[in-house]
Amino acid sequence: MRKVYGKGGHTIMTNKKSLGNIAIDMFVYMFLILIALSMLVPFLNVFSKSFSEEWAVVSGKVGIIPKGFQIQTMQFVVTSKQFLNAFGVSVYITLLGTLCNMLMTVTTAYVLSKRHLPGTKMVLLLFVFSMLFSGGLIPNYLLMKELKLINNLAVLVLPGLISVYNMLIVKNYFESLPSSIEESATLDGANNITILFKIILPLSMPVLATISLFYAVAHWNDYFAPMIYISKPALKTLQLYLRDVVLEADTATMGVATKSVDDMMNVSSEGVRAATIIASTVPILAAYPFLQKYFIKGILIGSVKG
Amino acid sequence: MGVTNISKIAEKSTKQKRKSKFVLFKNNIDLYLLLLPGVIFLLLFKYVPMFGVVIAFQDFNIFEGIKGSEWVGFLNFQKLISFDEFYQVLTNTLLISIYKVVFLFPMPIIVALMLNEVRGDLFKRGLQTIIYLPHFLSWIVITGLFVNILSPSGGLINNILGWFGVQPISFMTDNRFFRSVVVITAGWKEVGWNAIVYIAAIAGIEQELYEAAEIDGAGRFGKIKNITIPGIMSTIVMLFILRLGHILDAGTEQILAMYNSLVYSTGDVIGTYVYRMGLGKMDYSFSTAVGLFNSVVGLILVMSGNYFSRKTLEKSIW
Repeated sequence: MRKVYGKGGHTIMTNKKSLGNIAIDMFVYMFLILIALSMLVPFLNVFSKSFSEEWAVVSGKVGIIPKGFQIQTMQFVVTSKQFLNAFGVSVYITLLGTLCNMLMTVTTAYVLSKRHLPGTKMVLLLFVFSMLFSGGLIPNYLLMKELKLINNLAVLVLPGLISVYNMLIVKNYFESLPSSIEESATLDGANNITILFKIILPLSMPVLATISLFYAVAHWNDYFAPMIYISKPALKTLQLYLRDVVLEADTATMGVATKSVDDMMNVSSEGVRAATIIASTVPILAAYPFLQKYFIKGILIGSVKG
Repeated sequence: MGVTNISKIAEKSTKQKRKSKFVLFKNNIDLYLLLLPGVIFLLLFKYVPMFGVVIAFQDFNIFEGIKGSEWVGFLNFQKLISFDEFYQVLTNTLLISIYKVVFLFPMPIIVALMLNEVRGDLFKRGLQTIIYLPHFLSWIVITGLFVNILSPSGGLINNILGWFGVQPISFMTDNRFFRSVVVITAGWKEVGWNAIVYIAAIAGIEQELYEAAEIDGAGRFGKIKNITIPGIMSTIVMLFILRLGHILDAGTEQILAMYNSLVYSTGDVIGTYVYRMGLGKMDYSFSTAVGLFNSVVGLILVMSGNYFSRKTLEKSIW
C-alpha cells in the first residue's frame, strides 16, 4: 500500500526531505536528550556541590556547574581516616571476593558442563532450585551467627561465592566450545584439570572478563550484607560508610563524617556528603568503559541462554 | 539449554548403566574433587538456610536454638493474616510493583525504538553511554544523589518548583510522594540498561524486511508498527511474563536504602518488613514466617511464569 505524506501529496519521499520526518526526528532527539540529561543532572549537581564554595552550597545556589571553585571539601573527604579505611576494605573485598568467586564459579561450571558424568544433573538441579527459593533473611542471619561470621569480613565473600546465574552463563559457554578440542588434549594425555586451566580457560577469556566484572561491581556496590553483618567501624565497607553519611541528611544528626567540619573554612556538611558520594563513585566511573563493553556482552549471553 | 553431544553420549551410556557409571566416576575422580567445594558451598549457604525456615513454625528463642525452641504450628501465620500491618505492607508491595510494571516496563521498549531512529552513530553511542551508567551505581549512591536534588532546603527540584511559587516539598519523607520517588528512581537506574535486550533484538531483525517495506511505500511509523514491533514481540512477551513472576519484589534493597520511619505507611514492603521485624525487633519466628510466605508465593509465580512462557512462546528460562 502506498501512503501519502505531507501537504504536497508526494507519494514517495526520501527520509531526509519530508517535513513529517524532520518532526519525528526532532521529537525523537528531544526525548532522548531529555532522558540523558535527567540522568546526568543529579550527578552534575552533586559533583558541582563537592567543588563549590561553601556559601553557595549552604544557600542552595549550586546548579549543574560549580559556583566558585575549591578542593578543600574533597581533600577533607579523601583524607578522612574513616573514608580511607572504608575505601580500603571495599577494595580488599572486591579484589579478594572476585578472585574467590571466579575460582569457584569456573571449577563448578566446568564440572557441571560435563553432563555425561553421573550426579552432575542432580547438582545442577539443586543449584537452579536455589535461585528460585531461599531460606530468607533470618535463617541466613542465624547461620552466619552460628558460623561466627558476624563482624568478620569473610561474611562478605563466603555466602556469595557462587552466583548461580553467573555460573550458568559460564557453564553454557563451556558447553558451546567444540568438544574436539578437549578430545585431542585427552589423547595427548592431559588430565581434566590441566585441560581446564591450560585449554578451556584461555579460550573463554571474554566470558570470564564479563563475569568477573559482574562479581566485582556486585561486591563494590553491596550494602545489604555489610549492613546486616558488619557493625565494627574498622570493618565498614565504603557503601556502609556512605550510608552513614547520606542518612545524616535525613536525620540531621551530627555524626562520624561531619564531626570536625564546623572548624574548617569553606567546607559544609552538605558539601562533604556530596564529595563523599563522588569519591566513592570514582572507581566505578574509572572502570566504566570496560563495564560497558563487557556487560553488554554478558547481558546478551545471559538473555540468549539464561 | 540445548542438546549437546555430551548428552547424546549420556543416552548411549544408560545402556550399560551401573558399570559404566562407576567407571566414569572412577576415571573422573579429579573432576568430582573439583566440584566438591561448590557442592559444600551450595549445601551450607543455600540449603541449610532453607531448612532453617522451620523456625517459622516455632517460637524461636536464640538461646535455646532450633532444637530447644517450642513448636507452635501455624501460629505465626495466623498472626500474620490477622495483622493489619501485614495487609498494609502487602498493599504497598503490590502497589509499588504494579506502578513499576506499568510505568517502567514499556519505557525501555520506547527508548530502544527511539534509539533505532537515531542516525548519527556517535550521537547514538554517546546517548547509550550516558543512559547505561546509572545501572552501575549502588542504591546508596543513588539515594545520596536523590536526597540531594530532592532536598526541601535548596535542592535543585525544589528550587525549580519555587520559580512557579510551589512551597518546598520534602519528597523523601512525604507519604504522598514517596512511592513516586521509588518508581522514578528505579526507572532512572534501569531504563537504559533494560533497553539493551530490545536494542539487540531490534538489531537482529533482517534488514531486507525494512527494504521490502520501503519499496511498498511504508513510512517510518509503518515500519515500526509492521516490522520492528512484531520483530521484538516475543522478547517483550517473555520479559513481561518473567517480570510478573517477580511482582512480590518491589525493590527491597532500593527501599531499604531510601526510606525512613516517616514513610513506613506507604513505603514499607514485604522485604523491608522482614528486615524490620527480624533484625530490628528480633521477632525471628514471625519475620521468618513473612519471609517464607514471600518465598513460596514468589516460587509459585516464577514457576507459573516460566510455564506460560514455555506454552505460549516455546521459550523458557530453564
